[in-house]
Amino acid sequence: MTEHRSDLVEQKLSTLTLDGKLVEFTKGETIYEIANRHRKEVPTLCYDERLEAFGACRLCVVEVEGIRKPVASCTTAATDGMVIKTSTETIEKHRKTLLELVASENRNVDVNALSGYSSQEMTILVDRYSARTGRFSGKQSGTSNTGDKNPFILRDYDNCISCYRCVRVCAEREGDYAINVMNRGFHTQIITEFNNDLRDSNCTFCGQCVQTCPTGALGDKKALRDADTEGEIKKTRTICPYCGVGCSVDMLSKGDKIVGIQPAMDGPANEGALCIKGQYAFDFIQNDDRLAKPLVRRDDGELHECEWDEALDRAAEGFKKVKDQYGRHAVYGIASGRAPHEAAYTMQKYIRATYGTNYIDNCSRS
Amino acid sequence: MSNPLADMEKPDVIFAIGTNMTECHPVAATRLKRALTDGATMVVVDPRKTRLAKMAHLHLPIRVGSDVALLLAMAHVIQRDGLIDESFIAERTADSEAFLSHIRQFTPEWAAEICEVPAEDIERAGKLYGRGNPSAIYYTLGITEHICGVDNVQSLCNLALMTGNLGLEGGGINPMRGQNNIQGAGDCGAVPANFPGFQPCDNPDNAAKFAKLYGRDSIDPERGITKVTALNEAGKSIHAMLIDGENTVVTDPDKNHCEHALKSLDHLVVIDIFLTETGQLADVVLPATAWGETDGVQANTERRVQRLRKAVEPWGEAKPDWWIVSEIAKRMGTPGFEYESAKDVFNELCELSPIYAGLDWDRIDEGKYHWPVPDKEHPGTPRLHEGEFKNGMKGLFKVIGYRDPAEVISDDFPLWLTTGRRLEAYHSRTQTGRSAGLEYLLSEESLEVHPDDADSLGLVHGGMAKMASARGEIEIQVKVTDKSPKGTVFTSFSFANVPVNILTGSGYDPVTQTAELKVCPVRVTPVA
Amino acid sequence: MSRESNQALIERWKDEPAPLLPLLHAFHNRDGYLSDDAIKAVSEGLRIPLAELFGTVTFYHHFSREAPGKAAPRVCTGNICCLHGGDDLLESLKDKGATPMPCAGRCDDMIPVIIGDKAYVGLDKDSLEHRATPVPAPNPGGSTECLFAHIREEGRNTLTGYRATGGYSALKRTLKDSTPESLIKLITDSKLAGRGGAGFPTGMKWKAVADAPGDPKAIVCNADEGEPGCFKDRAIMDHDPFALIEGMTLASFATGAPLGFIYLRYEYPETERLLEDAIEDARASGLIGENILSSGHTFHLYVRRGAGAYICGEEGSLLNSLEGKHPFPRNKPPFPVTHGYNDKPTAVNNVETLASVPHIVENGAEWYRDLGEGDHAGTKLISLSGDIQRPGNYEVPIGLPLSTLLYEWAGGPKEGRTVQAVTMAGLSGGFIAGEDLNITLDEPSIRSKGSFLGAGGIMVLDDSRDMVKAAHDAMSFFAHESCGKCFPCRIGTQRMTERLGGEANTLEPSAWIAEIEDIGSTMMSTSACGLGMAAPHVTKSLMKYFPEQVEAFLAKG
Repeated sequence: MTEHRSDLVEQKLSTLTLDGKLVEFTKGETIYEIANRHRKEVPTLCYDERLEAFGACRLCVVEVEGIRKPVASCTTAATDGMVIKTSTETIEKHRKTLLELVASENRNVDVNALSGYSSQEMTILVDRYSARTGRFSGKQSGTSNTGDKNPFILRDYDNCISCYRCVRVCAEREGDYAINVMNRGFHTQIITEFNNDLRDSNCTFCGQCVQTCPTGALGDKKALRDADTEGEIKKTRTICPYCGVGCSVDMLSKGDKIVGIQPAMDGPANEGALCIKGQYAFDFIQNDDRLAKPLVRRDDGELHECEWDEALDRAAEGFKKVKDQYGRHAVYGIASGRAPHEAAYTMQKYIRATYGTNYIDNCSRS
Repeated sequence: MSNPLADMEKPDVIFAIGTNMTECHPVAATRLKRALTDGATMVVVDPRKTRLAKMAHLHLPIRVGSDVALLLAMAHVIQRDGLIDESFIAERTADSEAFLSHIRQFTPEWAAEICEVPAEDIERAGKLYGRGNPSAIYYTLGITEHICGVDNVQSLCNLALMTGNLGLEGGGINPMRGQNNIQGAGDCGAVPANFPGFQPCDNPDNAAKFAKLYGRDSIDPERGITKVTALNEAGKSIHAMLIDGENTVVTDPDKNHCEHALKSLDHLVVIDIFLTETGQLADVVLPATAWGETDGVQANTERRVQRLRKAVEPWGEAKPDWWIVSEIAKRMGTPGFEYESAKDVFNELCELSPIYAGLDWDRIDEGKYHWPVPDKEHPGTPRLHEGEFKNGMKGLFKVIGYRDPAEVISDDFPLWLTTGRRLEAYHSRTQTGRSAGLEYLLSEESLEVHPDDADSLGLVHGGMAKMASARGEIEIQVKVTDKSPKGTVFTSFSFANVPVNILTGSGYDPVTQTAELKVCPVRVTPVA
Repeated sequence: MSRESNQALIERWKDEPAPLLPLLHAFHNRDGYLSDDAIKAVSEGLRIPLAELFGTVTFYHHFSREAPGKAAPRVCTGNICCLHGGDDLLESLKDKGATPMPCAGRCDDMIPVIIGDKAYVGLDKDSLEHRATPVPAPNPGGSTECLFAHIREEGRNTLTGYRATGGYSALKRTLKDSTPESLIKLITDSKLAGRGGAGFPTGMKWKAVADAPGDPKAIVCNADEGEPGCFKDRAIMDHDPFALIEGMTLASFATGAPLGFIYLRYEYPETERLLEDAIEDARASGLIGENILSSGHTFHLYVRRGAGAYICGEEGSLLNSLEGKHPFPRNKPPFPVTHGYNDKPTAVNNVETLASVPHIVENGAEWYRDLGEGDHAGTKLISLSGDIQRPGNYEVPIGLPLSTLLYEWAGGPKEGRTVQAVTMAGLSGGFIAGEDLNITLDEPSIRSKGSFLGAGGIMVLDDSRDMVKAAHDAMSFFAHESCGKCFPCRIGTQRMTERLGGEANTLEPSAWIAEIEDIGSTMMSTSACGLGMAAPHVTKSLMKYFPEQVEAFLAKG
């Protein structure tokens, strides 16, 4: 710990003036990062803190003393002594114009919040800047890919604003490079190679593109099945139940219905990443096959539903009988590698405390 | 894992062996991909041309089950070229002399014969690993599911010890755990060798301590039998079982044997969320809550202890596993099961487990801690073996020799079958099979066969084949692909209509009793 | 010649520097278009993700994805060619699969049509002929020239001819007697500045590269002369290629860069072969390559041909294009002088700048400085085209009055016409008209009118021209060439084009004007690169000089 502190002393902090206030920063920080830290609410649509700053939307421009034109704060590294204004009348006017321009190229400004984690970003900014003015109307950009029948990712490019967050997250975070941008200018279009369906590409359906899309152009088709289901969306932070990586997710529910999954951007193991299973394989939980009541095998040799008391009594009686007849080394317990700690802990305690043996194992051997 | 997941972005050289990480641990694999973007070099050892193998700078498609030979030859190269870390060996290890003289005989040319890959590639792998600063090892069941699983792991340890790649950021030996809480099951003592927190059962002090804590006169001061032995003893010395959330019949090797074992029990109680093939054999089936329906704790592959939270009410009358087990225990008259919440259970575990001593339910709220956390002031241990090994002990070199798999190919069974997972399915598909949309990507299982093998066996892409081992026979659709090397076929164990574990189960590791699921000689013939 | 296999093509290129463009051209040449199979092969061969490569291929105008592809005529429908009937010529060649292309840099001649690797010119489909780039006319003002001093001499574009007219003595002398530091000092003292339009002092740029850490450094010649109405670099490369090569070799000596590229625009196919041959001749004579003239200095120079993208004239896009990446501009800083080709220190210089260097070395810094009028240093090549008697390339002393060039040097407007407006910096500077035509040809004078000289393309529009249409054609060009990375340019150029094309005439005139002004102001202030910043000069100058034409246009409804 002491070592760490001495590092701090040696590494002198630099300072700059942010909206009239002297603030400290560390070398390498961008203006946007510093402004964000000081809750300046600099608007942006192409920024995702997990990605390399790209500088496409230009909403985050700020004024820097001594520089003639505004600079994109996301791609500009802070330097010692900079004097920055994050919000002037001119800057705000440019931001509004930019948002009016962006709104003019899309079919919808409003999309369902189940579309994805970032899906409301554009709507929120358009409203914050009162940019639903209908100015700059003209051709719309992007063509929705309705032919891609994959059951997970909606590709509604009529709502695409070409921020390339999807392309960048696929390359920089997921490493799949499944999608890219075709053509140029107003005719840019997000595509896979040869404009095929996602299934025929390098796509692994991790859903990262969906979750970073700020307009809902890419949407979570599974969650959107419940777009019309009654109730507020509730988010519950939990951990994915598949492999051992332990990705943090937010489970989305409406009432008692689980409607979808979103990655936790601050999840320590995954930092916002998920795979197809964690993202989309959740609806087994509320599948009609689920056991709703205990079952016991009756004299007819079949399993029948029963009440808990009967089932638990039958379970205990059977163990007592075996223990009495064959001794305490005749009972064995197999715990689950899928259930929580509390299951494994009580299982081993049950065996050790009831039988005084170590006849307990788990499924790690299979 | 000895190192945290975050370290996977930092190795200089990545040595990935027996791990199909992009399919089995996709999110962890994204970190390796980022390391590659940043300039890391990757060596992948896998019989199959997996996606990870395609990204590698060097891919060694070794014959299944020949890992030890490869690792011995790599150690040989590392020593021969003076790439060993003398000071690490001197300060932190023991028994190096025997090991270092042992490996002198195992040349790359020797291993090339066994592994069926060019000696130059083995040479290159050894040099890359030996020169990496640091080098990190990643492995999964491709290393452990062998009769020589322990030998494989210890061979990897030898490599890390001789090059000093332990206790370093971006280095280490990193097994990737396959199930969400398989780490936790061990942490909690659900193993025959240890009490909670890896306190050995064969230490009489531990046995006495837990007997007292659990309100008994005594607990056997010796290890229990393993699950594999227990299944073998079913109907003989074992007559009742309590199985929580495991579809033993489908996922375990030698399905017929397993089914027979469970049927010979007097009493079988199964706790699960679905009526699985295993549940159908039970006397009592108890419905458990599923993910999202209960609070709890799980530990991931980097020993990070994290909270699960309840989002919705349970399905039907389903109850948490801990509640169900506690109710059975109470009915057995066992004291100490008066829990009111998952929190009560977890806090009791923390009190009894030295590696969890610094934790409690509230402290793990944000999932910040990696065990061991010996006290409340401790920040947790993201990286093991920094500065010293556990309790100041020395890292021990083990002298290991190569041996053949339990069964080797023959005229009757001329192909190697190896099994694994696929991205879009998980285990026996009790969950992924019930999730809408997954079938769009993977609707049925198939057997991956190299084009040359398909030609010589008369198999066609999309056609059906019979696959037989010494234990049984199944039918499966053929997929002709060069993802499998010549002479080896692959399938997953995820589809009930392709019960591949009828075939497997040729042998078990003598120490861990892990089954050799990765190697099984088979015969494949076309179905007319 | 038998068709080369995918593998053979890949093997030939994959270990060469900057292999993607030449490899794609190799497939494009072999098949006439880039098939799925070709793209897959390149993706595997160069380890570029398939989707990324596919996206990159679709970025370039001239890469065809299907037959007849390269064999089909591409007809210039640039601003000047349209004045000459480019659209009609295109229409008449439609049955041969003809497609339009933006200004192909031949505005001093008839309409260019590229078929395969040959550029033809003509005014109708029956009179198309393949002929060389026009040689600049003798200097009409009798002023001392730098770049064009020897360009009209016979054989100047052969190594023998070049040497016979004084070529390579600058390099010989420098390698023998000089140091990189003194060469940089000489160039700095000459006040030579970037002639591609940015005007950054060349000596300072070279010093920054020489001082920056990282190897290997590189010299990249920007020969992507994409600005409409600019064709001066073409004249230099076709008629004085060794001046460029010698200039680059000197630059490499000054900066310590062993590697160089000439990034040449697609539309100059003959120039590519000419440069390749010239480099080969220089190499054979020990003037380029390893250990040049036994001096110990090494410089390898490669020609890389673009594929039709104006934005690749922007240095960040150019470098991305060279590296085989999607040709979006790069965020600055860092600048190429520290993070250029492959993130190593790189001097990106225009053809004109580099070709001046041997002359400056030969004649001295003071000589060069004194070539300008008054306080201005040096000369500038102007590509003059449009409604003018004698279009062509002129080397003018910096500071020459525009009127002198137009009326005395180039003969003034066509018979019976008057000059209504000229464009500046090709199209990027918008229009200059009325009294402002009194400017002198130097940045301070032109900038005082809200425009800039840039690369030196000037198009003349006489009083017969509809200025709203001229503005629309200019803006369509920018919309066509906008890369699509930054929002203001991607959407702004489109909306401006729609408005200038009459698609938004339902708006009240005041609302129409407010939209144009707001878009223009936001584009100028917030665009990520020069394209988006410059395009609104067109609308701004249109409103400034021709409000009555705008009013009439809007009144049409």
